[in-house]
Amino acid sequence: MCPFPDEVLERVLSLIDSHKDRSSVSLVCKDWYNAERWSRRHVFIGNCYSVSPEIVAARFPRIRSVTLKGKPRFSDFNLVPEDWGADVHPWLSVFATAYPFLEELRLKRMAISDESLEFLATNFQGFKSLSLLSCDGFSTDGLKAIATHCKNLTEFDIQENGIDDLGGHWLSCFPETLTSLQVLNFASLNSEVSFEALEKLISRSKSLRVLKVNRNISLDQLQKLLLHAPQLIELGTGTFMQELVSDPIKDLKNTFGNCKKLVTLSGLWDATPLYLPVIYPACVNLTFLNLSYATLRSGELANLLSHCKNLRRLWLLDTVGDKGLEAVGSSCPLLEELRVFPADPFDQEIFLGVTESGFVSVSHGCPKLRYVLYFCRQMTNAAVATIARNCPDFTHFRLCIMNPGQPDYLTKQPMDEAFGSIVKTCTKLQRLAVSGLLTDRTFEYIGKYSKNLETLSIAFAGSSDLGMEYVMGGCPKLRKLEIRDCPFGNAALLSGLTKYESMRSLWMSACNVTMNGCEVLAKERPRLNVEVMKDEDGDGSQAHKVYVYRTVAGPRRDAPPFVITL
Amino acid sequence: MELELTLSPPNQRRQPTKKSGHGGNTVTKSPLLSWSQEEDDEPNKTFFTGDYQQDLDGEGQGLNGWPPLHSWRRRLIEGEWFNERVDEEEGDNMNEVNNIYNESLFVKVKMDGVGIARKIDLNAFHSYQMLTTTLLHMFDKYVEIDEDGASYTLMYQHKDGHWLLPGDLPWEMFIGTVQRIRVARN
Repeated sequence: MCPFPDEVLERVLSLIDSHKDRSSVSLVCKDWYNAERWSRRHVFIGNCYSVSPEIVAARFPRIRSVTLKGKPRFSDFNLVPEDWGADVHPWLSVFATAYPFLEELRLKRMAISDESLEFLATNFQGFKSLSLLSCDGFSTDGLKAIATHCKNLTEFDIQENGIDDLGGHWLSCFPETLTSLQVLNFASLNSEVSFEALEKLISRSKSLRVLKVNRNISLDQLQKLLLHAPQLIELGTGTFMQELVSDPIKDLKNTFGNCKKLVTLSGLWDATPLYLPVIYPACVNLTFLNLSYATLRSGELANLLSHCKNLRRLWLLDTVGDKGLEAVGSSCPLLEELRVFPADPFDQEIFLGVTESGFVSVSHGCPKLRYVLYFCRQMTNAAVATIARNCPDFTHFRLCIMNPGQPDYLTKQPMDEAFGSIVKTCTKLQRLAVSGLLTDRTFEYIGKYSKNLETLSIAFAGSSDLGMEYVMGGCPKLRKLEIRDCPFGNAALLSGLTKYESMRSLWMSACNVTMNGCEVLAKERPRLNVEVMKDEDGDGSQAHKVYVYRTVAGPRRDAPPFVITL
Repeated sequence: MELELTLSPPNQRRQPTKKSGHGGNTVTKSPLLSWSQEEDDEPNKTFFTGDYQQDLDGEGQGLNGWPPLHSWRRRLIEGEWFNERVDEEEGDNMNEVNNIYNESLFVKVKMDGVGIARKIDLNAFHSYQMLTTTLLHMFDKYVEIDEDGASYTLMYQHKDGHWLLPGDLPWEMFIGTVQRIRVARN
């Protein structure tokens, strides 16, 4: 029997935030399970189909904040058909009764309609914080409803969604009485908003700490906004290019200099050597700089980075080239995260982008690197081995050699040894994405050495079922496995029979799995949902896209006709 | 052009061992004899991946959902954001351009000092003057260009490989022979 009174236990447990810790707490004993469920304020649901809203509401009576993720990650790359599911509405219906005081909703890859947004805005009186990332199904009309009805709004964060942009009028819907806004992010919305309304909103939002505007906001307009909000911690600018007006550069420079708390900067659309220097006064404090919308060249980047000694996170376009990456290595010794995106992935003749040489330069100068996403057109095993030696602390290593199945361009060998060196050296590795010409050997290495790997992404790789079998036989902490276009068949799929219940999900598309294999899996493991998406062409025996996930909610009741649950 | 006699035709795909239609690749059947059309500066890249050969179209979009870029970022690239199409600046939708050839004639344009190349539809222009003016306007957000572009010279690559100065040929003949364009700094 538990010696503490419930109230004390709840009070202590209320200080625990991490949902993983809370899961552990709930397993101790019945009293702790109950204390935990009553004290939990935030629930994180990594797969909306792993549980039902009714089950969540029954277990956790006092939730104020929900994070909900829906579609498989490959839906970001258009590999999941529309109308697949992940509709948020059933959740909102239950929450309206169970959690009328819900304050925060963070949605990722969910399908949301305007009606749902209106429902949200009108059924939760104290609603404060909305974050939508990679969602789809709604338009700016839905955003109007949020802006109009949520009187206590603190966060309005709209990122990279498949949204129907019908105009910028939603911004004018924020009432004059709204003064509580802390986060406003509309960088990914294309339509122009009323600058007058925006300026007034910013000037009365004294607690504003994050402001990310869209490309339509000019430098002159940005200048005015920053004068109202020098307290900003994160800023996303609009366009960084305009006709020369009477000496705006000095004013802009001063304005940026006055933003003493600024640590994150993004936007910088169309930035050129002409206006980039205005941010220099703010650079010394920056820890995160997102230049992935600015087509900078190596020289401009080098000049800029010489001011950014404290950078921890840097996102770039590959227009900066290897020379630009040399500047990263020499200017940013504290760098922990680097992402290099391709500016023109489909046109490889005109512009080479970055190569193995740039990556190696960064690894020499930035030994604290732990997160890398790197798109390139050529790579060598030797270079990756060097990178692993220089940066043994990698937790996230995502290398995308853009031509599928491309070998080491110098030795013509498969890239097996490259990923072998990563998994052998970087013992803290949690996330890995592989590319290039890879045989089963790569997966032998991964299965054998990656003790902490949680997420693995594989495309156009492997020689046989063995590859996937190696992974399923190793990788004790694997949670998410996504595979496309690999020669893995039923034997490979079934080799994970004992593993899938300890994982969040498995995605396999364009592999060699058949309906029979999936049926066997479904029969052996009733607590998994084994879903097959039908392909229009091809016969019915091949399983074109397979999505397997653990669930306590049983088979989906909202599956569209092309999704078959076995 | 070379005539190659082989049992397995060059630059053609074998049937992949996986089901067809994967990843959006098209698989083509081919005759035993074929012309091997190697363009000097645009070789088809063939990668031996063990199970199947894949031709990658250097120009086109190729595989479905690859490379793995968020669709939002992909829309930026395909839209006007990084690699503008001149026809949008012209105000014309490229499908609506009325021209004597009734098809698009895209060539790549590379300006010295600018990392990103552009593509333009030559059928959207009717004169050298229009082309020059538009090109300068297109690149002036990247480099300082004086009004008449005096510090730059336009050059084009003839289909036989040589680089020439435009102006000698009548416009209609010019667009029939141009492979790509370079805006060179003097």
